[in-house]
Formats: sequence, C-alpha cells, structure tokens
Amino acid sequence: MIPNLGQLEESVLLLVMIVEEAYGVSVAQAYEEKTDNTISIPAIHTVLKRLEKKGMLRSWMGKATAERGGRRKRLFEATPYGYQVISQLRENRIKLWSLIPKFN
Amino acid sequence: MEVPPPKYAHRFLRWFCRDDYLEEIEGNLLEMYERQYEDSPEKAQRQYGWNVLRHFRPAFIRSFKVYQPNNYRAMLRHNLILTFRSFQRYKSTFLINLIGLSSGLACALLIFLWVQDELRVDKFHANNDQLYQILEQREQAGKLVLFRTTAAPTAEALAADLPEVTHATTVYNSSSSVLSVDEKDITAKGQFVGNDFFRMFSFDLVQGDAAQVLTDPSSIVISKELAQRLFGTTEEAVGKTIERKSDHSYQVSGVFRNVPRNSSMQFDFVLPFAGYQREHEWTSEWSRTSPATYVQLKPGADLASFNNKIANFVRDKTEGQIFHRTMFAQRYSDVYLYSNYENGEQSGGRITYVRLFSWVAVFILLIACINFMNLSTARASRQMKEIGVKKAVGARRGSLASRYLSESVSVATISLLLAVLLVSLLLPSFNEITGKQLTFAFDVNLILIAIGITLFTGLVAGSYPALYLSGFDPAVILKNKLNRSVGEQWTRQGLVVLQFTLSIILITAVWVVYQQVAFVQNTHLGYDKDNVLYFERLSWEEGNLKAFLGEAEKIPGVTQISSIGHDMTGHNSGTTGLQWTGRNPSDRTEFEVVRANYGTLELLDIKLKEGRTFSESFSTDTAKIIFNEAAIDYMGLTDPVGEEVELWGENREIIGVVQDFHFESLHENIKPLFIILNPNSTWNIAAKIEAGQEQETIEQLSQLSKKFYPDYPFDYWFLDQEYQALYAAEQRVAVLSKYFAGIAILISCLGLFGLAAFTAERRLKEIGIRKALGASATSIVQLLTSDFTKMVLVAITIALPISYFAAQRWLQNFAFSISLQWWYFVGAGVLVLLIAWLTVGFQTVKAAQANPVECLQDE
Repeated sequence: MIPNLGQLEESVLLLVMIVEEAYGVSVAQAYEEKTDNTISIPAIHTVLKRLEKKGMLRSWMGKATAERGGRRKRLFEATPYGYQVISQLRENRIKLWSLIPKFN
Repeated sequence: MEVPPPKYAHRFLRWFCRDDYLEEIEGNLLEMYERQYEDSPEKAQRQYGWNVLRHFRPAFIRSFKVYQPNNYRAMLRHNLILTFRSFQRYKSTFLINLIGLSSGLACALLIFLWVQDELRVDKFHANNDQLYQILEQREQAGKLVLFRTTAAPTAEALAADLPEVTHATTVYNSSSSVLSVDEKDITAKGQFVGNDFFRMFSFDLVQGDAAQVLTDPSSIVISKELAQRLFGTTEEAVGKTIERKSDHSYQVSGVFRNVPRNSSMQFDFVLPFAGYQREHEWTSEWSRTSPATYVQLKPGADLASFNNKIANFVRDKTEGQIFHRTMFAQRYSDVYLYSNYENGEQSGGRITYVRLFSWVAVFILLIACINFMNLSTARASRQMKEIGVKKAVGARRGSLASRYLSESVSVATISLLLAVLLVSLLLPSFNEITGKQLTFAFDVNLILIAIGITLFTGLVAGSYPALYLSGFDPAVILKNKLNRSVGEQWTRQGLVVLQFTLSIILITAVWVVYQQVAFVQNTHLGYDKDNVLYFERLSWEEGNLKAFLGEAEKIPGVTQISSIGHDMTGHNSGTTGLQWTGRNPSDRTEFEVVRANYGTLELLDIKLKEGRTFSESFSTDTAKIIFNEAAIDYMGLTDPVGEEVELWGENREIIGVVQDFHFESLHENIKPLFIILNPNSTWNIAAKIEAGQEQETIEQLSQLSKKFYPDYPFDYWFLDQEYQALYAAEQRVAVLSKYFAGIAILISCLGLFGLAAFTAERRLKEIGIRKALGASATSIVQLLTSDFTKMVLVAITIALPISYFAAQRWLQNFAFSISLQWWYFVGAGVLVLLIAWLTVGFQTVKAAQANPVECLQDE
C-alpha cells in the first residue's frame, strides 16, 4: 500500500534526494531550475513540513550563515521510508505505463 | 545586510509563527531577500512581505491558547451552577443586589423613555433639516429681549427677497374657537397659516393637495378627528361647509392626519392667513409684531450667512424707521428644547431638564453598580480558597474572570426582567407626573438600549471582582498570606464614599428644586390670585359687557366682577409709543399695556402706592393713566401723580402709581407697565368668588353666560391654576426628582446594609474576644459604626461644594429665587448620616449582642 502523495510532494521529495544540502531555499531553487516552474517559499515549507510529518523526510538544524542574518538552516534528508515510497511509486508508474496499449 | 527587510512584515511573522519553524522560515526568507535584493530592491521588499503573508496559514500559526478547555458547555454549566449556588448561599447579598439593580434599571429605563420622547419632539417633519423659526431680538433698557413673533408681512417678504428661502409661512393665533355644522357646536383649536404650511410641515393630508388647500381664503383644513366629530366621516368631508362662530363660513378643502403628540404645534384645524389678512389692516404693518414666522431654507443653506442677511431685515423694510429689532433664525426642531435666550445668548430651556435627568439615571445606575462591586469583593475573601485551588489546578485568569462576569451579568439580566415589570407597572403614574403619554413599546431602539444598559451594568458591576480576584497568586492565597487589607479596603471605602457623594448631591438637588418651586408658588405676586375666576369675554359689544357685568354682580357667590385685557400669566401686549419729558429719543423700551375696567385693580387687590385708581365718579378717566413703580423708576419721575405723558400721540394725566406686581412668570423681572381704562378692549372677565361656593357660583355664571351668549360654550379657568401651569415643568421636575433621590438613597443604603452585615460577620471573632474581655455592647457598636461614619463624613465634605455650585447655577434661571441656606446642605448631610447610622446600627447591634461563646467555640 503506497501512501497518497501529491505531485508537488513527489517532486519535492525527489529534489531533497537530489540536492546536496537540502533546505527551503535550495529546494526552491532546484525546483525552479529543474522543472522550469516557479514556486513560492511558503509552498516549499508547507510541503517539507507535510513530508516530514508523513515520515518520508527528517530534518535537523544546520549552521548559521551571514546571508541568513544569523539564522540557522533546517536541513532535510529523505528517510529510508521515503526512498521506499519513491521507488514503489516509480515501479507503479512503470507498471501502468506498460499497460498502455500500443497503437503503432 | 545592507538594507533590512520591511519591519512590519518581519514583526508580523514573529508574532504569528510557531517557534519551532520561526528560525528556519525567517532564515530562508532572509536568504531569498538577500539574493533578490541584488536584482531589484523593491521587488525583494514586496516579495518578502508577500511571502510572510503567505506563511500565515494554519500549519505555521502558533497556538495562542495556553490552555484549551475541552468542553465549553461543561464550563458554562459549571459557572451557572456556581452562580446559582452562590445566589442561594448568600441570599441577602443576592436580594440586595437584585433590589438595587432592578430599581436602578427601572429608573434608568423610565428616564430613557422620557428623554427619548423629549428629544423626538418636532423631529418628525420630513423637512426637519431645513425648517427654521424666525425670531427677533429687541433692545430694551440696554438688554436684548427675545420675541418669538415677527411682523405679519415677514414671511412673504423673506420668501420674495431671499433666494435661500424655498417656502415661508405665517402661523397666527392658535386658540380655541367654536365650529358648528347643523346646530352642532364643537370647540376646537385652530390657527391661521400661510399658503406653504402643508408643503413645509409634515402634517400629512389624507384629502386634498398640499399646494392647493389653502389658496382660497374661505377654505378650512381640518384634522381627521375633527372631521369625524363634525361629519362622522373623513372621506366625504371635503366640500362641506363649517361655520366659525364670530366669524364666517368656511369650506373644507382638505383633511390632515391628526397632529402627532410629539409636535409642539397642536391644532385641530387651519385657516388661510390670507383671509384674515384681508380683514385686518394691521397685518400689513411692520411695526406690529404678532404672528410667528417659519421658513424652509434650501438644502445646504448656510445658517450663519442667512442670519447675517436677515439681521437688518426690518430696518431695511421700514427704511430705517424701525432699527432696534434684529432678526435671526433658529432650527424649528430646536425651539422646543432650546427655547431660552438671555441677552442674545442661547441659554438652555427644556434641555436643562433632559440633561439633569440623564445625569440622574447615570448616577442611580452607578450607585447600584457600586453596591454590586462592593458586596462581591467583600464576599470574595470567603471565596479565596476556591480561587486558589482553581488556579493551582490550572484555571486561567480569563476563565475565573468570566465566572464572575457571568454571575454579575445573570444578576443584571434577572434585574432587567424585574425592571421591565416594574416599568410597566409604574408607567401610568409616571405619565401622570410627567404629563406625557409614554408607552412601553418594544421597538428596536428600546430593546438595544435595555440590553446595552444591562450588559454595561453587568460588566461594570462584575469588572472589579473579576479583575481583582482573578489576579491573585494562588500560592499566596493558599498559604493564607494574602495581605489584602489595605488596597481592598481603600477601594471599597472609596466606592462607598462615591456612592454617598452621589446620593447627597441628588438629595440637595431635590431639596433646592423643591424649595424654589414652593417659593414660586407662595410668593406674594403683588396681587391676589386666589379665588379669581377668569373667562373669555364672548361679545365685543360694549353695552353687552356692561349688562353682563351688572347681572353677574347680583349672583350671591360673586364678590367682585370686572374685565381686564391681560392674562396675568405672561407678556400680553406692549408698546413703545410712550413719550415723557426727559425721554432719551433712541429709547425703545417696551411698556406692558394693561387695559382695565372700573374695579379691576380692586378685584385683583393690586396695592396703590400713590394717587387713585379709576373710578366711575370721574367721567374722564379713559384719558388717564396709571403706572407701576418699575415704570416710574425707569422714567425717572419724582412726583408722578398729576404729571402728563404722551401715549400714542395723546396726552394723558398720571393719576396713580401701583406697587409692582408680577404679571409674568417669576423667571422674568418686573417690567415697566401702565394701566389704562379701556373697557372695550378687555378680552377677559375676572370674577372674585367667595370661597366654598365655587360650585354654585360657577353654575350660575354659566347660566348667565348661556342667556347672554347662547351660541358660546362657557370656558373658565382659575387664575391660581393658570399661574401654577407656568411652573408645570419645574413642578414636575420637583416631584420626579423627589422620587429619584429617594431611590438613590434606598440603593445606597442597601449597599451599606450589606457591607455592614459583612463587616460584622467578618469581625465576629474580634467582637467575641472583646466581649469576653469585658467590652460593652455600646462600645462595640461604636467601634463598628465609626468606619462608616467616617466614610459618610468624607462623602458629605465632597458633595457639599459640588451641590452648592450646581444649585447656584440652576437658580440663575430664575429672576426671583430663593437664597441658598447653609442648612439645606448640612441638612442633607445629616439626613444621610442618620440614615446610614440607622442602616448600619441594625446590623451592628445584632452583632454586638451575640453570645461570644458561639463565635469563639471553635477556637
């Protein structure tokens, strides 16, 4: 049974896996670069929070930098459960894709 | 960071954001801001604010509730149960609160009804904002005197000359006359009015057209009620003929809805002024000043500039001949409440009473609220443990406060229900006292006000205990280490002092009003008003008058009878057409004219100072004149009798001087006056009647009147009654304020009673020990009452100067007034002190007589 995961949630989960140091701004930046869509930072925060609550991400507070006015980053990383979910999703997709009748 | 992000957005974020997310979100936002700032500072700023706003969503908003009760209904029930338990447990407190609050609320509601009714008078006209009355100021003896009437041509001239005036009308002579249709005679009140009358005032026509009904001089417009009485129908009245006795026949051209009660103009029919004008020459003269004039101005017209324009209107119209009269306009709906002018300045009127009573209502409510506050704080010491335990297990301050507020609001609500009951019971008598016809209709306004007052009372009454009790530190309470004596007692004593200060002010006010009214009624007016019957002279034929007087004299109950051209209750007619040697040519003082018959002065018992009165033994007395002292003083004559003055172009010899007498209300100073013998112009007949025989005498006079004037009803009044009517307002105020002061005292004393009971109870052990050690009951009573005595004494000290100045100001309304005596104020103080002692004494004696064994048992 795969938990219900929205499209944005899926993208963000993947991006956290891709991005080296995943936190709000870096994920948003990656999202914009990789998908050619823009996204607001509150949306990213909401999704990150939701994914963490579902147990697919975990977070810890990182270091403070000057450009953040002395605030620390919250760094994210996918949990094993997150990897499991994403790979199951992928498998499901492939299964479904293969079921599409071929026309030519 | 070079430029910090918008401060407000930043602060807002910090305010709402959950702590565990704040750092991350803030950091991210700042980082974004920093990056975007390089591209475009403005956009970065905007974006920052927008992002903050978008974070305002449930996921990030912190919980503002520290403690969330899981069941509001349970808490409400808990509060209610506690409330009712406390009612049961402290029955006397509850009763005191209930009686105090409900009588306070009932007073406030009654006063509200009265004030509302007063404020609504004359406000119902659709053109209310544009309706004005034209007034005149005249200079007399260096002072400005106000007249509410103008020259008859004023209305027409104003409408013609001034573009701001859209309509103008004359209103003249509203008095009773007899109308008859087919042998049916009905007395009704009517007035002559200008064409525009119905277009200006909202006396709505149910039949006829407002622009047309008054165009024909022989038309009459009657009220629905009058139509019903005359014709038995309102629909078919138009076109019918009505005969007005002593006048003409008129044809009904319209019917208007009955004049509402809250109109200061009251009439049953109107006649066109044009018709009257045609037959009376004086109505074209600017020198005469009789009818009232009303104008309707264009919407948005500036009153000040209009007043400027009309100030010299009379002078311009008469080419400078009449220069001492200046005109100005007053809002029509203001006339009722703001009718007094003193030397050109608006100086109140009925509004004084409206304000007075509004204050009384506030005072009484305040006194009732203070009771509640005092009693609940006093009682609170017994509830300390409850509060301590509740707080210790986590009750918030708010929920504790809400418990006390809900208690006070429930008491207020129950009191409101009682008050409504009281008001509906008292309303008939209240109407009788105030001379109004108030009804307790539940309109939105009243309901809102009632609920408003109740909530206000409940919240104010409950505020102090709620805020005060809920603020304690539970640890301190539970350890029983609360040092509550100083602050608490100061507040409570302060409140009691305030309460008594208010009561004393009310009592002195009542006393002064009462004294003044009594003074006015008992002052010797300079003439004898008792047992004098007045009635209108019904025929203007001279011979007829003589015959009537001759016949009337033979009636055994009539001691004296004569006729007079004055009502003795107000300004009647005056003249400036008097010349005497040494007169300043610019002097425009008006002399009051009394037209008298033989025997008039004797009948009224007006005292003669010098010379003689009119007598039939001299045939030339119609060419003589009598002055009052004020006139002689004003003219500066030293030996007046025998000198000559010129009146209206004719020389008259002064034959006598009478002592000053009040021919107007005591609000007015005695003005210069002269009396001339002119039986033909005496429009009233005065008869002095033997006391104890009023009934028979009036009956016989009525029969005589029927014989002489079969067409007229015999309407009479007693001079002293008429005189008293002049002071109806004051008298009503006197009676009303007596009741209200009584209620204020009652409520104050209820509070004191409760407080005394409480103190006695709390000091029960102390009393027990004192008694056990040999204190006498008297010394204990002294001990307990001394506190209250001090409070009342402080209240007296505060209240006396305040009430002295208030009384002084009120008395300035009267030209003749009582002088304030020191004992009025001391008397009020002593009275309050006595009542307070009586109240407290009852409780303390009970406490002092208790057996010390009982209260010391458990030690």
